[in-house]
Amino acid sequence: MQRKSSVNIARDRIRALVTSDRVNCTPEAYEKICRELYEVLSKYIEFTEDDFRVQITRTHLLIDFSGEED
Amino acid sequence: MGEVIVITSGKGGVGKTTTTANIGAGLSQLGKRVVVIDTDLGLRNLDVVMGLENLIVYNLVDVIEGTCRLKQALIRDKRYENLYLLPSAQTKDKTAVSPGQMKKLTLELKEEFDYVILDSPAGIEQGFQNAIAGADRAIVVTTPEVSAIRDADRIIGLLEKNKLRNNALIINRIRVDMVKKGDMMSVDDVTEILSIPLIGAIPDDERVVIGTNQGEPVIGMDAKAGRAYENICRRITGEEIPIMDITEGGGLLSMLSHLFKRD
Repeated sequence: MQRKSSVNIARDRIRALVTSDRVNCTPEAYEKICRELYEVLSKYIEFTEDDFRVQITRTHLLIDFSGEED
Repeated sequence: MGEVIVITSGKGGVGKTTTTANIGAGLSQLGKRVVVIDTDLGLRNLDVVMGLENLIVYNLVDVIEGTCRLKQALIRDKRYENLYLLPSAQTKDKTAVSPGQMKKLTLELKEEFDYVILDSPAGIEQGFQNAIAGADRAIVVTTPEVSAIRDADRIIGLLEKNKLRNNALIINRIRVDMVKKGDMMSVDDVTEILSIPLIGAIPDDERVVIGTNQGEPVIGMDAKAGRAYENICRRITGEEIPIMDITEGGGLLSMLSHLFKRD
């Protein structure tokens, strides 16, 4: 297949939308939250930036730091 | 004591009314006593989808205002025994009814019916608040589109804020051919984003349109969408039925390929 499937674009768009809707902030602010959380936590816990991920659900902020898939 | 279920979505045009009509018919087919209520004041539709538009005398607002007794406003379905419709008012707006009044009404209906199914209007304003006021749980309808999923996510958040937690998801109008080509999000994609239990996936089916033209539910026809609705109804009553994989043909080869499918 030559073109990028449109589903991949849709998935990225809907993830960005629900994430910013859920915490009621812009995607840029979300990026900033992630960066600052990383900066704070990396002072105390050892992990790399690649392994660090913040997930926003409707009720929780989930922080992954091991880089392992659950 | 019956159960009150609200059918809602946020976005308009994803199939709330069709879903309400088919769930109503499907539950009555299972021998349940069912009343479906159109709560979309000013934009009455459920009666048309069910083919009962010529039988309306009184409506929801008449009942609330005491113009008639509740029994007088209930329209008995032509095809399905034990299925009744409480139609909306075409000339009133959403302020004619309050959440408190809806709660009282659904409580009364619960005494007499096994299921009270509310068709909610689109949006998140008072019409939505009215529709969810007396509900025990919600079924959220979406389609595999970015805008519909976004609205569904907001609606689920609002339902949870209103202490409705036992909610389930219907993904409507899935085009199997497009999912296979990578041009439509799959059932798994949508369920993963919204993270509430899936109660059914409805394939896009032209017989739904034919049914709507004729004012008949698709559940009575020999159609994939009808069977999907039948399974949803069984799940509503508590039966455990696996979600059928509508992207597969069902043959041995496709079953095997499904077993070994990797994400």
